[in-house]
Amino acid sequence: MKRRLVIKNLLIIAGGIAILPSCSEKPGTASIQLVNLDVNADQENLLAEIAETIIPHTNGPGAKDLKLHLFVLKMVDDCHSAEDQERFIHGLNNINKFAQTKLNRSFQDASVAQRAQLLQTIENAKDTDQNIRSFYSITKNRTIQGFLNSKYVMTDLKQYELVPGRYNGYFHVKQATKAS
Amino acid sequence: MPNLNTDSVKERTFDAIVIGSGISGGWAAKEFTEKGLKTLVLERGRDVKHVVDYPTTNLYPYELEHRGEVPLAIREAAPIVNRCYAFREDAMHFFVKDKEHPYIQDKPFDWIRGYQVGGKSLLWARQTQRWSDFDFEGPARDGFAVDWPIRYKDIAPWYSYVEQFAGISGNRDGLGELPDGDFLPAYPLNAVEDYFKGVLSEKFTGRHVISARCAHLSKPNAIHIKQGRVQCQNRILCQRGCPFGGYFSSNATTIPWAMKTGNLTLRPFSVAHSILYDEQKGKAIGVKVIDTNTKEEIDYFAKVIFVNAAALNTNLILLNSKSNRFPNGLGNDNGLLGKYVAFHNYSARISAEYDGLKEFKTDGRNPAGGGYIPRFRNVFKQETNFLRGYAAGFSAYRSTERDTAQVGDALKNQLLNPTLGPWRVGSHMMGETIPKAESYVALAADKKDDWGIPQLKIAIDYDDNDAKMKADYIEQLTEMFTEAGFTNIKPNTASQAPGLDIHEMGGVRMGNDPKTSLLNKWNQLHLCPNVFVTDGACMTSTSTQNPSLTYMAFTARSVDYAISELNKQNL
Repeated sequence: MKRRLVIKNLLIIAGGIAILPSCSEKPGTASIQLVNLDVNADQENLLAEIAETIIPHTNGPGAKDLKLHLFVLKMVDDCHSAEDQERFIHGLNNINKFAQTKLNRSFQDASVAQRAQLLQTIENAKDTDQNIRSFYSITKNRTIQGFLNSKYVMTDLKQYELVPGRYNGYFHVKQATKAS
Repeated sequence: MPNLNTDSVKERTFDAIVIGSGISGGWAAKEFTEKGLKTLVLERGRDVKHVVDYPTTNLYPYELEHRGEVPLAIREAAPIVNRCYAFREDAMHFFVKDKEHPYIQDKPFDWIRGYQVGGKSLLWARQTQRWSDFDFEGPARDGFAVDWPIRYKDIAPWYSYVEQFAGISGNRDGLGELPDGDFLPAYPLNAVEDYFKGVLSEKFTGRHVISARCAHLSKPNAIHIKQGRVQCQNRILCQRGCPFGGYFSSNATTIPWAMKTGNLTLRPFSVAHSILYDEQKGKAIGVKVIDTNTKEEIDYFAKVIFVNAAALNTNLILLNSKSNRFPNGLGNDNGLLGKYVAFHNYSARISAEYDGLKEFKTDGRNPAGGGYIPRFRNVFKQETNFLRGYAAGFSAYRSTERDTAQVGDALKNQLLNPTLGPWRVGSHMMGETIPKAESYVALAADKKDDWGIPQLKIAIDYDDNDAKMKADYIEQLTEMFTEAGFTNIKPNTASQAPGLDIHEMGGVRMGNDPKTSLLNKWNQLHLCPNVFVTDGACMTSTSTQNPSLTYMAFTARSVDYAISELNKQNL
């Protein structure tokens, strides 16, 4: 893994040198090291807004605060098949086109309510473009996973115990304030 | 090459050599060193020191880069080990990856290995049920394999001996088919496990659900504190290695105990190539080792040798120990070495839901994993169209539900405020398989590993008896679940290759007759009595119980015997 990263870094450096003079308009790259996915800063920002729409900042942190979009990218990059990765990228690239047809504006120009409504449309409409559906379902599942496995939820909200030190097989539900 | 310098030979000479540091090798090391014998333990992999070499042990899920998931590139490069339930991001460093140590599958076999000090004792499922005479008498009664040369009374005191030291939690259930032991307090069944236990005792005969007996310190005794272990903290992150020493492993228990005696030399990175046989003396004199770092060949010498390399590698070492006297492998005049290998059939599971007892849920975690259903088929007499039977795991948990159909505030609210769903129950079978001559391991003719040792060729398969037993398990569990009012009953009969059970046994079986077995009742090679085999390779039949406790008991018993024989100058 490490060696692959080193090689990747070398390629990036070499590639950077090669394209530097002619590529001043290219948007910045993603803020984390990715091995398989080619994602630029604009795409990353769009993904951040989508993740934030799925889990918004309320009285507690949301997806952007918890950098869940980066978790999504990391997981798609390392844990998904090439086919998934392709659909994910296609879907991500087509979200704005989809937003244009449905809302007459880009995702980022839409209001919070419109953004949520757009995602809900994808969630509910089985006939939406397959790439968009795949992208949405991967992003949503990984965002939820990242949220539930975040330090905020697990430790700050005490929903996970590393060292329970006990077992009760007859715990009265009435005693419980939370189900977890 | 052997160094003829006498000082060097002296440095390479011990009272005892133990090949392997896993669950049985660790016990051999403890027993020998405690009784004053200078002991060399050979381990082919790296050292794993208790606590300090458990890099993931205290990580929260969010501290694991992929939250526990194994990255695709690793999964794709290691499809075999990836099928093991414990091969996850937090423990994958303790498993052999497929490409590191290839073997030949004449038939599909998922060989799951842990090459490090402690071996698979770091990774095991920690279930520890005793055998009974219904198990030891099985082959003789049902006419397969050969008769076991021992009975329950021979091993019972050694079960107690190892249980007291290892720390086994369990209830005294009073069942003839699953003898009671020297237990720490059991982990209790939960509401639905208890309920199911009640249903079985009311509506069926001879079917029981007990608290699974497991190698966890529910309430440590003085001996466990002396080992540096404390009470299990119910983390259920055991496969990472436990900083509390809450469960039994060589790393937490037997190896440091042996080390403290000053009599242990632990040599990691040392593959046992073969056992050296001296034709004049008519016995084994040592072990040829290859240092995996330098590839140097080094001979070590001892009066007695214990082979505890894990079942199939023990077979491999003996098969590769060729001499003029034993051209087909050490002690293998009858040609049975490597044959009659068997395993446990884990290829059926069943799940369901229960709508009752909703006033309860569980709190904390149960290291025992829940309930255990001892074998109830063909126990007292043959009564089905298949031989032997199966034990089963049984566990229940209260599900939580989150509606994730929406996005935004509504979703977040659902995620943070899950509701309780129904209880979910599950069971898996642990079937006895019948050892057969055609289920065997052998040396590959033309393929060698990095150390010049022939690769292992594996040909082990299910048979018709296994298929019938599997169908019966599904039928019986469905009936039992139905009687209990469980709903949404879903059998899962997806096959899995032998090996994934990680209970491979046999190939160097025990027996009374040197013509039909390799080892005698003391686990000594009939034809080379200063070589003992006390790991899974020695097993004449498999029964249904998780086998590790029996390996521990065999090992302690055999070391005791070996020392008495050494003292009588018989070895």
